[in-house]
Amino acid sequence: MTTYNPLNLPKNDNLNRFAFVVDVAEEIFLRKGKMIAYYGDLKFESLGSSLLDILIKNTFNAPAYIHNFVVAKGQGQLILGDSGNDIGCYDLDNANMTVKASNLLGFSKDVICQESTLPGYLTMLGSGKIFVSSNGPVHFLELPCRVDEQAVLGWADCPSPSYRYDYAHVTGVMSMVGAVTGITLSGEEKQVDFTGAGTVLIQSSELGLKSSSILAHIIAQLPFLNRSELTSVSGAITQNSRT
Amino acid sequence: MSSFKINSDRLLEVGLQNEKVMAIAGSMVAYTGSMKFEKSILGGEGFFGALKRKVTNEGMSLMQTTGTGTVYFAQNAAEIAVIPLAGEKIFIESSSLLAYDIALKTNTTFAGLRGAASGQGLFTSTVEGTGNIAVISRGNLITLEVNPKYPLFVDPQAFIGYKGAIQQEFIFDVNWRTMVGQSSGESYQLKFTGQGLVYIQPAER
Amino acid sequence: MPSYNQLNEKLIEVTLNNEELFAKRGSMISYQGNVSFARSFLGGGNVSDLAMRTATNEGNALMSARGTGKIYYGYNGLFVSLITLANETMYIESENLLAYDGRLRSGTMFLGNQGGIQSMVRGAVSGQGLFTTTLQGSGELALLSDGNAIGLPVSTEQPVFVDPNAYVGHKGNLTSTIVTDVNWKTFVGQASGESYQVKFMGQGTVYIQASER
Repeated sequence: MTTYNPLNLPKNDNLNRFAFVVDVAEEIFLRKGKMIAYYGDLKFESLGSSLLDILIKNTFNAPAYIHNFVVAKGQGQLILGDSGNDIGCYDLDNANMTVKASNLLGFSKDVICQESTLPGYLTMLGSGKIFVSSNGPVHFLELPCRVDEQAVLGWADCPSPSYRYDYAHVTGVMSMVGAVTGITLSGEEKQVDFTGAGTVLIQSSELGLKSSSILAHIIAQLPFLNRSELTSVSGAITQNSRT
Repeated sequence: MSSFKINSDRLLEVGLQNEKVMAIAGSMVAYTGSMKFEKSILGGEGFFGALKRKVTNEGMSLMQTTGTGTVYFAQNAAEIAVIPLAGEKIFIESSSLLAYDIALKTNTTFAGLRGAASGQGLFTSTVEGTGNIAVISRGNLITLEVNPKYPLFVDPQAFIGYKGAIQQEFIFDVNWRTMVGQSSGESYQLKFTGQGLVYIQPAER
Repeated sequence: MPSYNQLNEKLIEVTLNNEELFAKRGSMISYQGNVSFARSFLGGGNVSDLAMRTATNEGNALMSARGTGKIYYGYNGLFVSLITLANETMYIESENLLAYDGRLRSGTMFLGNQGGIQSMVRGAVSGQGLFTTTLQGSGELALLSDGNAIGLPVSTEQPVFVDPNAYVGHKGNLTSTIVTDVNWKTFVGQASGESYQVKFMGQGTVYIQASER
């Protein structure tokens, strides 16, 4: 097992599949809570404080996601990790790439981040680095192809995809034992269709990211609540489970 | 001495020649040869060790495996790393310890405030002596050096353990809290200074 | 013959040339080419297997993929291992079966046949059901596991003992028996308890995963 220190840590590269080292020299935008450790002198500020207005106006044009990100500045080596998800870094060279918002970990300050017309995705434009996490390693596909919606991580240099419904087999089932076994949608019925040129990025699974930090926080706080507070938590859980 | 080997990242292979090894109860997945498994109440440190564990609620339920053959240990598909100790002492989160040589001595120490907010126990385990220990982590374990020239800052939920002449401090920083954003937990960082090694996992607990 | 290619530990790519493949429903990640998907109830077995499966709730919902093109399969972020059978029979927990092609004949095996009443107990207690899926012939199949799957060789001189919750399948000429060890039972700390192990004897390979169910 290698022992790392600021001298031999990789610069802006993966340490292993699940950890990435960012060599911070100028500001970068990072998703909250994904920092594991760092050497050096770094400061983290949340977006929305007035000193950063200028920065925001130029690069972060996705207001719905502002509170999920912070700005890291200073000098040092920052190690990013995301609950055992694979982390990858993509270099944009005056190009465009759209990624699922929940998978975007961070990006360098010159990249412009905007909301995609497809809900839940962010389009990154310009030049710089983008850090993306995924459940399992990322695989690149060439067009044309059809993908299970939950496995789509993003796409680059191609037009927005469309939805394709493949119910050809469902009617067959209906006339057989469909009533007995029941029909529920799986990834085979509703597919995301990519046509044109470019590259599609897919995850190796249809699951979302492994994410337990919210859960861990909530569970850690429970022992501090009294009985009536626990009852209101229980009520809130039932209400949220209904949606 | 028993041999500790990792088989494809997530499986620990321990070779025993009429020897013993200590492991977390329920982590055995397969074995060959002849083995006996016994629940271990003492955890290798005597009556006072057991009493301390009861008081501090450290919750380390152990099993002692004795025999000749190969035993395979795993836990929830977590990655496993083997750390050899050569007459040293390592401080480690008890929930991250998978298995260790019977020759090593274990103990519990007070870890300070760290436990309360991050949901870890208030106490941590120490393992001392010469032998192998196997540690579980989410994502491969990373070893970072701490040196007077470069102190290290760590997210408490990624922290697994350390060894060497290291001092641990809690840094309460308003800015740090903004890194979390979801609920109030994790309002501090750990700062390590001195000379030694810190072990972290690339994930939060 | 469909060709299987392991892209990474969680994703496989299968190339079909006007052929048919059976895979776990919901595991299709992506595809290219001209492929049509249909619900498959027989999955290459026969009607009596279907009846047994429905009756025992084997829960092995299958889709058949037919045509020419490349299909990418993965499931819930679980690890995938490719296993080649050379005129052998593979016993596999149905929830761990990702994909297999028409070269193999599928069936359902009542665990009771393999070791009497003890095996029946094994199924009921470990919650895995009394039946398991068998695949016979020569060809390839893809296995799912939580964490990587390891194949442990079993020989007549060296039997292998396995935690039933870590067991995913086996192939070859093996007999399995339940071993209860009074000492072993002392580790109960979990609700269902791991109060027994499964002993495999004979000649073959046992597959285990690096976690308990």
